[in-house]
Amino acid sequence: MNVLFGLVSAMLVGATPILLAAIGGTFTFYAGIFNIAMEGMMLVGAFCAVLGSFFLHSWVLGILCAIGGALIMAGIFVVFAVRLHTDEFLTGIALNLFAVGLTTFLLRDIFHVKGAFTDAGIRAIPAVRLPLIDGIPVLGRLLSGYNLIIYVAALVTVLSAFVIFRTRFGLRLRGAGYNAACLNSSGVQASTIRVWSLIVCAVCCGLAGAYLSLGSVRLFSENMSAGRGWISLAAVILVSGNPWGIGVISLLFGFFDGLTVFLQGGRIPTQFTAMIPYVATLVSLYLYSVRKRRQA
Amino acid sequence: MRKQALSGILGVLAAFAIGALVLALQGFNPFAAYAGLLQYSLFSASGFTATWTRAVPLVLTGLSASIAFASGPVNLGQPGQLIMGALGATLVGLFVHLPSALLIPLCILASLLGGALWAGLAALFKRALAMDEFIVTLMLNFIADYFALWVITYPLFDPSATSPMTRPISIAAWLPGLGGVNTSVLFMVLAVIVCWLVMSRGRSGYEWRMTGQNSLFARIGGCKVDANYVRVMLVTGALAGLAGGLMIMGGPHRFVKGLGANYAWDGIMIAVVANNGISGTFLYGLLFSALQQGAIGMELVTAVPSEFIEVLQAVIVLVVVAGRVSLNMVFDRLATRRKLKESVG
Repeated sequence: MNVLFGLVSAMLVGATPILLAAIGGTFTFYAGIFNIAMEGMMLVGAFCAVLGSFFLHSWVLGILCAIGGALIMAGIFVVFAVRLHTDEFLTGIALNLFAVGLTTFLLRDIFHVKGAFTDAGIRAIPAVRLPLIDGIPVLGRLLSGYNLIIYVAALVTVLSAFVIFRTRFGLRLRGAGYNAACLNSSGVQASTIRVWSLIVCAVCCGLAGAYLSLGSVRLFSENMSAGRGWISLAAVILVSGNPWGIGVISLLFGFFDGLTVFLQGGRIPTQFTAMIPYVATLVSLYLYSVRKRRQA
Repeated sequence: MRKQALSGILGVLAAFAIGALVLALQGFNPFAAYAGLLQYSLFSASGFTATWTRAVPLVLTGLSASIAFASGPVNLGQPGQLIMGALGATLVGLFVHLPSALLIPLCILASLLGGALWAGLAALFKRALAMDEFIVTLMLNFIADYFALWVITYPLFDPSATSPMTRPISIAAWLPGLGGVNTSVLFMVLAVIVCWLVMSRGRSGYEWRMTGQNSLFARIGGCKVDANYVRVMLVTGALAGLAGGLMIMGGPHRFVKGLGANYAWDGIMIAVVANNGISGTFLYGLLFSALQQGAIGMELVTAVPSEFIEVLQAVIVLVVVAGRVSLNMVFDRLATRRKLKESVG
């Protein structure tokens, strides 16, 4: 039973950053932007979260700083890709590189360390006990007591499904991606919708970054997003942006990620267990291509 | 071509100006910092040769990305292919005992093969299973990274070392020095010339570029698009693999932990600023190498953290790429206005 609880918890921990970034990515996906900058937004978010939490002594301000940092990245993306019509893919690559460079530079410049910064002064995001469910024997342990951001992520998923499919903004969002000229002729500028989608994406990636650096750990290390932005991009493409699908895929990745932790100390070398999430991405890409061929 | 050079030079200058502003805001003297940068990368004998040696992996992975992007396949797997190439060269260098004249070419061949195999895997996934190479090559990077770490931690671990690394490769496989210059530079220059000939003078290069611009047109024109796809993936993988092999044979002479990590995205970055041109890739490769080499000097002279260079590189990429698009728009507008005047007059 304890193993089960541990595995569920590890699954949620692994799934959360990918889920949040992918939900952000799905907004830009529907708006018709080929956005690969989630990785960079997440990394800057993670750094700014530590920055805010350490200097302002509050995890709330840490989260706000993370969102602010990601928003600055989104601003750069808007200036180059939406205003100056630079290729979205190239802008994304440059932004990701910029994020790695900027965070390592600032890590050195502000905290005077190389590699990683950790300090007792960094306030972590607390875990939350759900008021009613906490008392129920098995369910309470299964659902309650996780980090605040995990609940936020679940909420964001439900909310995004509602916003995208049930609101006027969602309709315009999908319109911007489906037929931008048509949307323009209806009096709504597609480029404005795209800017909004990038803002939403930045908020989600900022949360994901804050979870990385203030969630289960309290530190920032160089390049700590470690390809999660890319995995979230794969998740978005795999389910064609559907938020529920993204939820399922993220949990699946979280499960494999959790498995990595569980298999450590076993007979399999850690280097091979660490490969599991990436191999899982390849397998799911394969399943996706099979499904697409059946439909065709 | 002239427009490219103009937007490139303007972009790099603008990026340096932005960098100077950032430095000044941080309270550093930007002129002293840039002077230190140049002194340690270009205007000293040791710095100059070191810049060329450092450029080898940058230019080769840059060529790999440039040729791939220009020909269609989005091969983002240079880091993984570099590692596999390095692993190939290491294996041959450790276990094959031959005189230098045979062993060096064999090691080079092994590094080409290692990179080509890893890229070929992605090509196989694409052709047989219809999986997009864009994400596949990215995921294979991480897998190659962990695989190499396993190889140097367990099967090939040097028991006398404290961190994961292999034993040194046989001395016969070490690339000889040539008047202070590492011989790997020669291989790089050779690779640049061959790539340039293939891409702008050869028939296959023409077919590849045409496929990259419009694959349907190329198919109707009689190109074997699918076969070319596999060829491009193999060739670009081999180029990245060569970078890894040369790094082993010319540098630490053994596979150490974290090899190639610093060059992970640099090749793609260089291809992007060079707009996938061969000569551009070569020049930007040298520029970025000079920046990275001079960074250490800059830190010594002015206490600006060497990581500043990573920011400067990304700024160069953004400004040059955006500048190219805007400059093209300006040129187009001028040309239209001129034509308009002619037709009116």
